[in-house]
Amino acid sequence: MDEYPAGSLDQSIPLLLTLGVSASSAPHGTELSAALKEQAVLIRSDLDPLDTEDALALLRYIQERDASQLPCNGRDTTRRYRFRVRTAERSLLLPPRRARLPEGVEAPPTPAVLHSPFSPLSPISPLYPDGFIDTQWLRKHQDIIPSVLLCFYTLVSDPGLATLCDNQIKTDVNNIRALLSQSGYKSRLAVVFLSDRGAHSIDGVQERLETIRKGCGLDPKALFFVPPNESPDELERIGENMLATLYGVAIEYYRDLGRHARKKRGRGVAPQPTIPPTSGTSQILSLVGWNVRYDFKSAIFAEYRLEMDTALRSFEQAYEGLLSSELLELIPSWSPRWNDARFLADVIAVRCLRCLVWNAQYSAAARRWQFHRDRVADFVERRGRGTSNYGWKAWEARWATVMANLIEKADLSEFSPSSSKVYLQPEKSVMGERLQPWEFLHHTGYWYRIAAKHLSGRRAFAHAMPEADRRPPSFSPASQVASKAFTYDTYMCPDPHEEYPLDREGVDHSHMIVESLMRARTEFLKRHQVRFAAELSLECAGELAVSKDWQSIVELLRPLWKDMTFRAEGWLTIAEDLSWMLRAAAARTGKAELVIAIDWELMNRSFTKRKNWHYDISRTLDGISPKSKPHVHIEDGQTLSFVSASFLFRNDEGKAGQSTNGQLAITSNAHHGSSPIALSNIQVDFTGSLSHVILRHEENIDAKTQQKRGSVVLSRASLETVVEKQNTEDKPSDLEEDLSKSVTLQGASDLTLAPGQTAVFDVQIPLREPGETSAVSLTLNYQSDTFGLDQYLSFQRTGGSNLWYLSAASTTRISRDNPVSIRVLPRPPQMEIVGLTWREQYYTDEPIALELEIINEEEVDAPAKLDVTLLGEDVPVFTIEALGQGDEASSSVAGSDESRISGVSLGSIESSKSLSVYVRVPSIKRSSRFDLTLKVVYFLSTDPGTPITQTSIFQLNVVNPFEANYDLLPRIHPDPWPSLFDPEGVRDLSEVDNTANLIPRGLSQTWCLVTRYASFASEDLRVTDVDIRALTSQTVTCTSTRKVPALEKAPDGGRIVKPKTIEDAAFDIVAQKSTLDDRSPATLDVSFVIRWTRLNPSSPSAPPNITTLPVPRFTLFGIEPRVLASVSHLRLKEAEPPGGSKSLGRRRRNRLLVVLRVVIENASNHFLTFGLTMEPSDEFAFSGPKQTTLHLLPVSRRAVTYRLLPLREAGDEGGNKSVGSWIRPGLVVRDKYFQKLLRVIPTEGMKLDKEGAVLVWVPPEEEVEEVEEEGAQEEETTEEESDDGDDDEDDKDDEDE
Amino acid sequence: MATAIPSITCLGVIGRNNNPLHISILPSYDPSTNAFAPVRTPLQFSLLLSSTLDVFELRARHNAANGVGLTGDYGLLHAVDERLASYGFETNTGVKFVVIVDMRGRRIDGSVAAGMVDVARRGTAAVGLREGEMKPVFKAMQTAYIKLLQNPFFDPDEHSPPSGTGGKKITSKKFADDIRRIGENWTPGVTAL
Repeated sequence: MDEYPAGSLDQSIPLLLTLGVSASSAPHGTELSAALKEQAVLIRSDLDPLDTEDALALLRYIQERDASQLPCNGRDTTRRYRFRVRTAERSLLLPPRRARLPEGVEAPPTPAVLHSPFSPLSPISPLYPDGFIDTQWLRKHQDIIPSVLLCFYTLVSDPGLATLCDNQIKTDVNNIRALLSQSGYKSRLAVVFLSDRGAHSIDGVQERLETIRKGCGLDPKALFFVPPNESPDELERIGENMLATLYGVAIEYYRDLGRHARKKRGRGVAPQPTIPPTSGTSQILSLVGWNVRYDFKSAIFAEYRLEMDTALRSFEQAYEGLLSSELLELIPSWSPRWNDARFLADVIAVRCLRCLVWNAQYSAAARRWQFHRDRVADFVERRGRGTSNYGWKAWEARWATVMANLIEKADLSEFSPSSSKVYLQPEKSVMGERLQPWEFLHHTGYWYRIAAKHLSGRRAFAHAMPEADRRPPSFSPASQVASKAFTYDTYMCPDPHEEYPLDREGVDHSHMIVESLMRARTEFLKRHQVRFAAELSLECAGELAVSKDWQSIVELLRPLWKDMTFRAEGWLTIAEDLSWMLRAAAARTGKAELVIAIDWELMNRSFTKRKNWHYDISRTLDGISPKSKPHVHIEDGQTLSFVSASFLFRNDEGKAGQSTNGQLAITSNAHHGSSPIALSNIQVDFTGSLSHVILRHEENIDAKTQQKRGSVVLSRASLETVVEKQNTEDKPSDLEEDLSKSVTLQGASDLTLAPGQTAVFDVQIPLREPGETSAVSLTLNYQSDTFGLDQYLSFQRTGGSNLWYLSAASTTRISRDNPVSIRVLPRPPQMEIVGLTWREQYYTDEPIALELEIINEEEVDAPAKLDVTLLGEDVPVFTIEALGQGDEASSSVAGSDESRISGVSLGSIESSKSLSVYVRVPSIKRSSRFDLTLKVVYFLSTDPGTPITQTSIFQLNVVNPFEANYDLLPRIHPDPWPSLFDPEGVRDLSEVDNTANLIPRGLSQTWCLVTRYASFASEDLRVTDVDIRALTSQTVTCTSTRKVPALEKAPDGGRIVKPKTIEDAAFDIVAQKSTLDDRSPATLDVSFVIRWTRLNPSSPSAPPNITTLPVPRFTLFGIEPRVLASVSHLRLKEAEPPGGSKSLGRRRRNRLLVVLRVVIENASNHFLTFGLTMEPSDEFAFSGPKQTTLHLLPVSRRAVTYRLLPLREAGDEGGNKSVGSWIRPGLVVRDKYFQKLLRVIPTEGMKLDKEGAVLVWVPPEEEVEEVEEEGAQEEETTEEESDDGDDDEDDKDDEDE
Repeated sequence: MATAIPSITCLGVIGRNNNPLHISILPSYDPSTNAFAPVRTPLQFSLLLSSTLDVFELRARHNAANGVGLTGDYGLLHAVDERLASYGFETNTGVKFVVIVDMRGRRIDGSVAAGMVDVARRGTAAVGLREGEMKPVFKAMQTAYIKLLQNPFFDPDEHSPPSGTGGKKITSKKFADDIRRIGENWTPGVTAL
C-alpha cells in the first residue's frame, strides 16, 4: 500500500482534536499546502494551556485510545467508539471554505461563485477543471478538520478568582465557537473542565458549570467535568464515558456531511466552475463525473460512521460510474486524467475490499479483487497500452501486495498461525456456487508470492525493452519519445529509461522480488508450511543468484540442505536443484566443506547426471583455495550417500576364544563414468568387546586374495590386533587390561571403489569376551591432496538383502533376524565328566553303581565341588564316593521327586589329571527313569573369583528284567483223605490253642504250578536259580518242590537267558488244610523268585540279584465235587505176566495198557451220588464198569479204574510208531441228584480237547520203557485204592471183552 | 466467446512416507501459442506436489484434533495462484492422491459454456468448481491404485518402507496409463471416470 499516496487507502476514522493540553505548541493543521495555509482560518484560544497531572493523564488516556492502528475488521464489538486523536495547544488552522480567486485572473462579470479549494471547480485545485477527487480531499477530513473539538479548561476553585475565570472561559469558548462558524465548518465543540489542585469539594460546581454552559450555548452532552483528586481508574472511566458520548456527536457530524453530499448529488446538475477553463480541451467534469464524486464522498462519510454496507453500496456505485462508458472510456490514455481515473478506481476497489473483509465476506473480497484486476486489464488492453509491458506487471504486483496488506491489516483471527488455516471457507451466501479455488481467501503468504511472480514478470518485460527505449529522453529523438509514451504504461511506475536504464542501475527488481518472497516465506513458516517455505527459499535463491548475492544464498539454503525433507522423502529432483544451487553459491563464497559434501552427495546415481560435469571427487576443489585443508564429516542420513554398506556375521553364535567370519560389503552407486574413488581407510565400529575393525588402503595387494567377477570384488583381508600404545611406560599388566577392554583389528586391502562396484571384504574376527557384539556403524575415510572426508554409515538392523558372498560370483542369503550382531558365548569349561560304567539300561532289583571320571583339561589346577541331583519319581537315596577324598561316602537328601547331594568337595584336581567318583544307587523296585545331573563347579587357581560350571546329565533307565505268566494245574494227591471217623484226627482240646505246633490234619491237594518267564532285558542275563515262595496261612499249609530243574546248564552255574525268550519252570505244590473241619475255599499266595546276575558283573563277588514276581492268586479247596482223572501206562510183557491181566497179555504181546483212574472227590458235607458211564469206542478196548453208580459220603473220595487198551497202534495215522497219540475215552460223570454233568479234570499225561473232553496220551513204544517201572508201581497203589472202592459198589460191573 | 474451463494438469501419488510414487503431468491449453503444453516444468510440479504435503499435515492435525475428515477426502488443499489449485485425498494406508487443476486448462466455445451450469457471469472469467467435483477423480485413482496393489509382484513395502524414509517410485506402465487417462478424461461435472 506504500506506493499509493499517504492517506489514500487508509480507513476513515472520526477525527477528534483536543485543545488546551499538548506537548508541542505548534497549531494543528500545519500540514496544509502552502497555498492553502496562506488562506487558512486560524482558531485560537487565549487561555493558558493546562499542565495539571489530571489533565495530562486524561489526555494520555485519550491518545491511547486512538483507533488508527486497530485491525480493520468488524469483529471487535467491545469498543464503543473509534477516534483518530490529534492534539493542539491552543490553536488550529483550518483550510478555507472558499478558495480565493487566483491572482492574475480576470474577475468574471458576475460576482464569482467561490468553491472549496479541494473541488475541481476552484482554479487553484489540481483537479481543475475536470478531475474527480483526490487524496487531498480525503486527507482534509482524515487529518485536518476535526469532527469534535474538545477544549480543556481548569475550573478554578479559589472563590475569589472563580467568577473571573469562569467568565474568561465563557469568553474563550464563545470566541472559538464564533471563529468556527465563521470558517464554515460544522465541527462540534465540546468542553471538559478539570478541577484545580486546591479544590476539595464540588459544592456549587454544578451551578457554575450550568452558568458557563448557558453562557456559551453549549449542548449538555458536550460538557464534561472531572472532579478533583480522582484515582487513575476513575479518570479512565470518565475518559471512556466522555469518548463514548463524543463518538455519538462525531457520528452525527459525519451523517450531516453525508446527507449534504447526497443532497448535492440529488440536484442532478453539474456545477459550473468559478472560472471557465481556458487551457487544454477546456472540458469540465461531466455530471456522471460529479455523481462519482458525490458517491465517493457519501461512501467515505459512511465509512466514518462504520456503516460498511452503505459505504460498500456507494463505493460500488462510484466504481461503476467511473468505469462506465461515459467516463473512463472517454478519457484518452495519454491524458493525465487517465491515470487519475485508474488511481481512483484502485482506491475505490481497495475500499470496497476493506468493506467486504469488514463484513467477513472473504470470498466476495477475493472475487472483487480479481474482478477489479480483470476489469482494469480489459480497459488497459482496449484503451490503454496493453498488458504486455512492465507497467502492467508492476501494477499487478502492487495489486497483490495491496491485498496482502489489507488482509494483514484486518488481522483476521481465522488466519492466526495457531488455527493452521491455509485459506478461509467462503461465506454462506456463495457457498453453493461454482467457486474458483482462488476465491477461497488464502493467507497473505500466497498473495506476496503472487506479487513476487508479477515482479519477475515485470523484470522480464523490462529486460526485453529495446535499447532505444532505455535511453534518457534527452538523448533520444523526439519521435522516439513520443512512441515510448504510447508503448509503455507508466501508471505509478518509472519511465523506461528509469526502469532499466542503459548506463546505470535502474529499478532493483531482484531486491523487490526477494523482499516479497521473504515476506511470503515468513508467513508460510508461521503456519508450518515448511515445504512451501523451502520452495520459496529456492525461488529466492534463484533471485539472489541473479544479483550475485552468494553469501545470502548460502545462508538461506544451507539449513535447508542440512535437514532436507525433500531428500528424506525422496523428492530428488528438488533436492538436486537445491544442491546445485547451493554448490554454486558455496563455490563462489569459498565454503570448501560445503562444496565437498554436496559434490559427494551428487555423485549418487539417483540424481540426474549433469552433462559436462567431471564427477571426480578429487577435482572438487578446483578453483577454490581454502585457507587450510578442509576435513568434512558427513553423518549417516545427512546426505544421500552414494556408498552403501552392510556388515554380516556368518554365524549368530560364537564362543569366546574362537574366531568368526564377517563380511563387509560396500557398494558404490555413483554415476556411470565418474572416476573411481580410492578410500584411504574404512573403519567399522562395534558394540561389545570389539571396538573397531580398520581396513587400510593398499595399492599392490596380493592378487590371490582378490576375486573379481562382474561388479563384485571379493577380497580376504587378514586382520591383526593392534595394541594402542598409550601406556607403553606402564606395567605390562595394564596393557593386558586395556587389551581385554577394547580391541582394534587392522588389515589392509585395496579400497578402490569404481562406480557400480561392490567391494566385499571377508575378515576373520577373533572373539574375546562373552556378550553381544554388533556392528554399529562404518566410517569411510577419503583423503586427497586438497581435502579429507569422513562418511559415517550406520548398519540398519533390518532391511538389506543379507547376502553372504561365498565367492565373487555366488551368494547365499543369511536368513537370520539380525545378522549384524553375534552372540559370544562364554569360554567353555575345560572340565570333563565321563561316565565309565554307564549303561543304557538298568534293571530293577539291581543295585546301580556308576563310576564317573572328572578330568581336568584346564591348564592349571582346579579346586572343584560336585553337586549331584537325581530327578524322577520316587527317587531313592543314593550315595557318592570320591576316590582319594577320604573314604567317606555322602548320602543324598531325598525329596519328593529329587534327591540331591550338594557341595561334595573334590579337592583340587591337578591339570590333566582325573578323579573318580562313584555314585551308588540302591536297587530299585519299580521300573522307572531318573536323570542324574552332575555339576562340577570349579575355580581356576589363577582366577579364584570366577566360578566355572560344567554340567553333564546321565539318564538312568530302570526296567523290569523279567515277566512271567503262570498256570496252576490240579494233581491227585497220593495220600488217602483223612476220615471223619478216624480217631487220630480228633484233636485234643489242649492242642486247639497251641496252634504253633499243630499238625495239619485237614484235606490235602496237590497242584502243579507252571511258570513261563521271559527276559525283557536288552542283553543276555544269567539266571542262577528260580524258585517259588509260598506264603503259608493259618489255615493252609503249603509246601512246594521244584520239578523241572533245567537250569544248571551253563558252565559256571545258572542259565544264560537271551532277551525275549520264554523259559519254563514247574513246581509241585502240596496244600493241606490244618483241620478237617475247615472246608472253606482257600487261596494260594506264592511269588516267583528269580536269582540272576549280569553276564559281566561289575564285581564278581557281588551276590546275585533277586527279582521277585508276584503270582496271581489261585483258589484251592473248592467245595464243589471234582472229578480228577489220572493216567498210567503199563507195558504188558510175556516174561513178567502180571497177575490181574494175564489173558490180555497173552493175546496181545507188548501191548501198552493205559490205566485210567478216575477219582471223584466230595469235599462237601452232603451225600452225593454219581453215575459213571464209559462209552465204548473203536479207538480202544477197556475194562472197568461201563455204567456204574458211586455214592460218596461227605468228605470222601472214591476212585474207579479203567484199563484201556488202545486198538490202533500209537502214531498209526502216519504209520510212525515213534510218535505218540491221543485217545478220547467217552467218560461221563453225572451227578445223579442234580442231573448235572461233572467236568473231568485231566492231570499229568492228559489234556482237554476243544469240546472239553478228556484226552489220554498214548506214548510211543520207546518211551514206555522208562515209564514201565513207574507205571508198575503206580498200578499197585491204584489197585489197592480201587479195591477199597469196590467194596462200596452197588451196581453191577460190566466188563467189556 | 471462448471460455476457459478447468482441466487437470498434474496428478500425483504420494506414498506413506511422503515420498513421490508417481507423477503424471498433462498439458494445458496455451492461448498465446494455441497449443497444448504443460504449464510448469517437472521440477515445479514436484515442488507444487511436495508443498501440498504441508497442507496435508496441517489438515491431518486439525482433523485429528476435531475428529473430522474420516473419509480421507481433503478437498481443496490450497490454490497456489489464480490458475493452479491442488486437491487432495488420503487413503487409510496413508497414500495420498493429489490433483493439480489448471483453472484455465481448456478453452471451449461460449455456446457450450452457456450450456454448463452457472458459468461465471463475466465473459473472460473461468468456470469455477463445486465442492466434491474431484471425488470421481480420486475414486478412479484409488481404483487404479488398488488394481496396482492386486498385482502380486507389486510390493507396497518396497515403495513405502516401514522404516519411514523414502521408497521407490511406481514403474507400472499400466498404472501410469490409467492415471493419464483419468487426467485426460476429466472435465468439470464429470461424475464417473
